[in-house]
Amino acid sequence: MSDQKFPAAKKASIKSAKKDAPIVRMVDIDKWFGKVCALRNIDFHVNQAEIVGLVGDNGAGKSTLIKVLSGFHRADKGEIFFEGNRVNFNSPKDAKRLGIETVYQEQALAPHVSIARNVFMGREPTRGLGFMDRKKMDEESMGAITKLGLRIKDPEAVVEALSGGQRQGVAIARVLYFEAKLVILDEPIIALSVKESQQVLGFTQQLKAQGISVIFITHNIFHVFQVADRFFILSHGEALADVKKEDTNIDHLIELIVSGTLEKM
Amino acid sequence: MAEKASRKNKLGSALLRMRALSVFIIFVLLFIVFAVFSPGHRFSSGENMQIFMSIGAEFNIVAIVVGMLMIAGEFDLSVGSILVFSSWNFYVLYNAGVHILLTFILVLCIGGVVGFINGIITVKAKIPSFITTLGTMLLWRGVTLMWSGGLQAGMDLEQNPIMYKAITGSIGNLIPAQFLWFLLIALIIALVMHFHKFGNWIFTTGDNKMAARAMGINTDRIKIICFMVVGTAVAFVAVMQMYRASTFSARAGDGWELKAIAASVVGGTALTGGIGSMMGIFWGALVISIIENGLIFLRINYWWIFTVFGVIIVSTAIISKYLEQRRVMAGAEKT
Amino acid sequence: MQRFFNRFFSFRASFTLVVFIALLIFFGIFSADHSFFKAANLTAMTRLAPDLGLVALGVGLLMIAGEFDLSVASTIPLSSFVFVKLLSWGTPLIFCLLVTFFAGALVGFLNGMIVTKTKLPSFIVTLGTMLFWRGLVYAASRMMPIGIRAWLDFGSWIEKMFVGSVFGVIPVQILWLLFFAIVLGFLLHFNKFGNWVYVTGDNVTAARAMGVNTDGVKITCYMIVGFLCAFMGMMQNIRIESFAANQGVGFELKAIASSVVGGTVLSGGIGSIPGIFLGTLTIHIIENGLILMGAPPFGISAFIGAAIIIFAVLNVAAARVSGK
Repeated sequence: MSDQKFPAAKKASIKSAKKDAPIVRMVDIDKWFGKVCALRNIDFHVNQAEIVGLVGDNGAGKSTLIKVLSGFHRADKGEIFFEGNRVNFNSPKDAKRLGIETVYQEQALAPHVSIARNVFMGREPTRGLGFMDRKKMDEESMGAITKLGLRIKDPEAVVEALSGGQRQGVAIARVLYFEAKLVILDEPIIALSVKESQQVLGFTQQLKAQGISVIFITHNIFHVFQVADRFFILSHGEALADVKKEDTNIDHLIELIVSGTLEKM
Repeated sequence: MAEKASRKNKLGSALLRMRALSVFIIFVLLFIVFAVFSPGHRFSSGENMQIFMSIGAEFNIVAIVVGMLMIAGEFDLSVGSILVFSSWNFYVLYNAGVHILLTFILVLCIGGVVGFINGIITVKAKIPSFITTLGTMLLWRGVTLMWSGGLQAGMDLEQNPIMYKAITGSIGNLIPAQFLWFLLIALIIALVMHFHKFGNWIFTTGDNKMAARAMGINTDRIKIICFMVVGTAVAFVAVMQMYRASTFSARAGDGWELKAIAASVVGGTALTGGIGSMMGIFWGALVISIIENGLIFLRINYWWIFTVFGVIIVSTAIISKYLEQRRVMAGAEKT
Repeated sequence: MQRFFNRFFSFRASFTLVVFIALLIFFGIFSADHSFFKAANLTAMTRLAPDLGLVALGVGLLMIAGEFDLSVASTIPLSSFVFVKLLSWGTPLIFCLLVTFFAGALVGFLNGMIVTKTKLPSFIVTLGTMLFWRGLVYAASRMMPIGIRAWLDFGSWIEKMFVGSVFGVIPVQILWLLFFAIVLGFLLHFNKFGNWVYVTGDNVTAARAMGVNTDGVKITCYMIVGFLCAFMGMMQNIRIESFAANQGVGFELKAIASSVVGGTVLSGGIGSIPGIFLGTLTIHIIENGLILMGAPPFGISAFIGAAIIIFAVLNVAAARVSGK
């Protein structure tokens, strides 16, 4: 669907995407807020169809890093490469155009509005003069939701009536539909029950199965350890460690985060 | 969280005392301007000052309690209607031969009940207070107008000289009793707001309701109490007004709600609650009163008052918000 | 068909419909001589209903987007005044209309800009602008009515368009109300702009995160309110054949009442055009019915005040119960 709007972007990415090359690479990124240094010399990358757990205690810089990646902030130093090409984000719209989507903690859903209208918020398909193609909205939103493994039948159901896990599902189905290539989940399970958290972790694996890369931000190691392929640990704005799952375990990760020093296993 | 709020409150009131100072300066400037430019300098004549203090006290008291409610995070647009409704209650009870003291108490109680109704609807039904009080504004004035038939009637109130003196007398023929009542009420409320724990609860409730509740503060009860204080105070003002004017007028209190909000905003009260000072509201009320009084003396067309108030409300609200943002950023930079 | 009806009449709008019908029956029975249903009364009602109706449609739309506009009470006499002044200067009628509409939209634009850029509560801002414009209009007109007969001949096209009747029976005003109700209804319920209105009122941060220009949506709604006020002010002006400084007094409250009775929730994001339409008719027949029953005029405002509160409470309760 996004083909209609951004054919140029699509063509560019087909041209230069190489297999096994990272989908996104952030090189030597610095970000300052006034006198405070939020990020310093960050080298961060995500491979294709990979789930990276972005962890670190509160205030480590996780939010700032993904805000730079999604076009919310501009880095003060460093470069970003997407699918091999150097990119310059002036606004979140630029990042969205390339396929970088963020699912926020608060899900960015309107509670009293239907699922279909929520999925297409701001990007409603129209039939002319701005009048919405309701049939398409209903069908496509249900399609995306089912693809994720979420069992909701009624596109007119109001989001408020859904459980926390289902709401996350709707938010994730939304980015799925708009053909995200890189999905950033910002603390997605922080307020969910055990059962709902498992549900969302399942969605995350579904994303990977569809070839989409995921950055999973959390300060809770235990949950993300189940699904992540790699862990990138931030501490006080600096990169602390970048380990593959097979090279580590939960205790080691916790030790790294808490001690704030680099240690080889 | 409550401690943080009280620290913030003290810091807030420190910074707002500066705000109160600037409002005081504005008041003095306006006074000078009106005194100088009014024909024959009649503005600053003893006679006008007496009027300013006595009649002005009526509005000023209302402004103080409305300001307190705004700090708690709510609005009351029905004060004008509570005023006229209370006046009517007074008229009816008095003419029915009820003893003056009992009448007085009953009128105050009814005012309190009216305030309670405002509070309970807002808090329990979770409706924005400005809508609730919009509704009660129409309701009470409508009821009063229906019942009274829109009449204007004189009353003979000198029969009880004690009450009469207590309300309309003056000290040394200089300071009207009404003004003293205003000072007394303002003082009591200021003491409660800034030095008593109940006042701290009001600030916290208005600032961060969730935090207040988490700390065990019954925000619902606090808001309802504030609404009741407004109702009772307005009823008191109604009685005061009746004594001064010796008439019941169905138009009493018309437009007071807007002036009261303006007084608070000028005095540095935040529209979102949690921020404000009694000193600021005190001088804010006087500024509003003096503008109304002064414009008449400058022979400016009365119509312009509306425009002037409109500009005042919006511009001071904008300035307040800007100053508040500056204060927050300054505080953040220190950490 | 069932589904279309369900979507079209949200839960709360159907409740308003029930109330509306109940009131019709009540006043039909209890009005003196059943005068409520007499032809003369019905004609008068349909002629006057659009005055409130047009304004309520705009105010209700804005409330769904999450903001309030109290300044309608002043925009109406302002537009009426502009219209009369233009007429008195001999401006061609069509330009009188267009400039008046433009003036209303401009007032709306100013309201919208101040609310969105200062982020102050809208009811304070529009309280301020209401006072501002009211003072201007009073001062400029010295509160004196201005008759328009000096510049407008009887039977001109403008009269036929805005105050005439179709087939000599149906007042043209009600057709205008229906026209705008249908246009706004389609806009709100079927157009993507309408979706933006709903999400802006429901969760403004979500809307912004999804790229919806929430400031633009609100400003547009304010401009629609301003335009409708100008349209209605002009229509009323031609009907009463003069400008009167007290045109529009009390309309801000009645418009809010119409919306609330029609199921609009005060925090935004919930409401419908059919609901607002029914709500304004309900308020109107309450007024009309009470007058016919010989109720004192002041009592009516008391009723409206009570109606605002009762329906606001009901709406909140209904939203919590039905989750919709």
